[in-house]
Amino acid sequence: MVISTDSSPASRKLTAAMVIAVALILQVSVANRLPLPGAVIPDLVLLTVVALALINGPLLGLVTGFCAGLAADIIPPADHTIGRYALVYCVIGYLCGQASDEMDRSAVVPFVAVAAGALAGTLLYAGVGMMIGDPRSALVILLRVVPVQVLYDVLASPFVIWAVLRVTGRVGRDRTSSGGLSTSAVRYRAMSRERV
Amino acid sequence: MRDTRRTRAVLGTLLVLALVLITIDYRGGDRSPLRGLRGVGSAIFGPIERVSASVVRPIGNAFDAITDAPGERRRADRLARENQRLREQIRSGMLDRDRSAQLNGLLRSAGLGGYKIVPAQVISAGQGLEDTVTIDVGRGSGVRAEMTVMTADGLVGRVTRVGPATATVLLATDAASTVGARLEDSKEIGVVEGVGRRGLGRRGSPMRFRLLSAAAPMRVGQRIVTLGSQGARPYVPGVPIGAVERIEENPGSLTRTAHLRPFVHFSALDVVGVVVAPPRSDPRDAVLPPRPKPAPTPTPTPTPGVTATPGATATASPSGQPRRSARPREED
Repeated sequence: MVISTDSSPASRKLTAAMVIAVALILQVSVANRLPLPGAVIPDLVLLTVVALALINGPLLGLVTGFCAGLAADIIPPADHTIGRYALVYCVIGYLCGQASDEMDRSAVVPFVAVAAGALAGTLLYAGVGMMIGDPRSALVILLRVVPVQVLYDVLASPFVIWAVLRVTGRVGRDRTSSGGLSTSAVRYRAMSRERV
Repeated sequence: MRDTRRTRAVLGTLLVLALVLITIDYRGGDRSPLRGLRGVGSAIFGPIERVSASVVRPIGNAFDAITDAPGERRRADRLARENQRLREQIRSGMLDRDRSAQLNGLLRSAGLGGYKIVPAQVISAGQGLEDTVTIDVGRGSGVRAEMTVMTADGLVGRVTRVGPATATVLLATDAASTVGARLEDSKEIGVVEGVGRRGLGRRGSPMRFRLLSAAAPMRVGQRIVTLGSQGARPYVPGVPIGAVERIEENPGSLTRTAHLRPFVHFSALDVVGVVVAPPRSDPRDAVLPPRPKPAPTPTPTPTPGVTATPGATATASPSGQPRRSARPREED
């Protein structure tokens, strides 16, 4: 478990909440109105949850995921059953938090985790929709949407994760006790800077 | 002394010469013989003056610049700011003009149909699998749930949820949306269902029209308007939806399915109107845009259904009649 209790947890929670709020607003009022090919939009909130979970570990990851999902369920244009995103993001936050221990083992872990998280999140959301009989989650529609959605999520992930690390990095750098995670964060940040 | 005398002589001569010149020039006026002299002067000295000026002016400017430098810098800043402001004004002016054109169109359509509308602007859009948008009017503007939302071009969707200053609109392309609809100039009714705009391999049509009567005539290019719900909630009658793009032939089924090309450009929604009061009478096909001229000619094939059900079309409303006579071939 990488969560270190000595670094002020309150400030980390506050940062996480702010990051999620910004991601939600950006998603709803900017990203969703972009005329991307296929009319599919990368899920910035899901990527933010994955990034926060990779940084903060499973507990904070799942709490963050649940809160972000609940917010995504009630933010104005949302018109689905409340709780769907809360469920999905909570699970994804927990799973990706489990991978946070592996962050310092290999540099590709964040990428794999994000891709897996995007795929699992999209499928889980669609699966829940099918279970509750949402006409939007019909199989025909899902076959059309899910591949594009996952592709877009993976394409957008370096930017989102870089931005999240940039914002939360100040908190991470102050922590000297858990050196492994912060060095990995620094390394990943440098890596994504090269890509950008 | 001699010098002085010579000097005086020359001085006197020149003075006299000058006086003579003055006299001649003054008496001569415009026709003075000395005008040529002035021409020579300007021919010789003009270019020289220009050259010298062009040499001197930068130097003078440099001096001015050095002495005035702070003032000039301020002036440049001021001009740059002013430039920026003017550019922004132009840009916002173009946006305003665009928006005003959209509003004008919306008002015209609403006037044609007799709808009372509240104009609104789209401020955000839904994510994932749903096709929803938020608009910037809410309960305070008289908007309630289950009201029709339209643009100048046609149907957008219906209000599903209302906040104090915002409202959520379910677009007609959403897979959860179902709209009662009617073919233009006949009373054949059906249901428009959203198919969703998102994803791969969309063959253009985000909506499907299911004609309830399998024998009723339907042809490509025919336009579709809303039928109107009971009590005009959620859909008021007569709002254009789209045109038939492709008809699916599946002989066994009870209904006939057509793919629609919507009139509204759903991926670029900006100014919309919420119909807060329905029209007093059904506007029928009045809100439909004028029929494009070349449209009927490529589809002259009279479907067998047209002759098979003359009774259904013969009872068309008076407002539908003139459009019927515009058909290439009339079976009366």
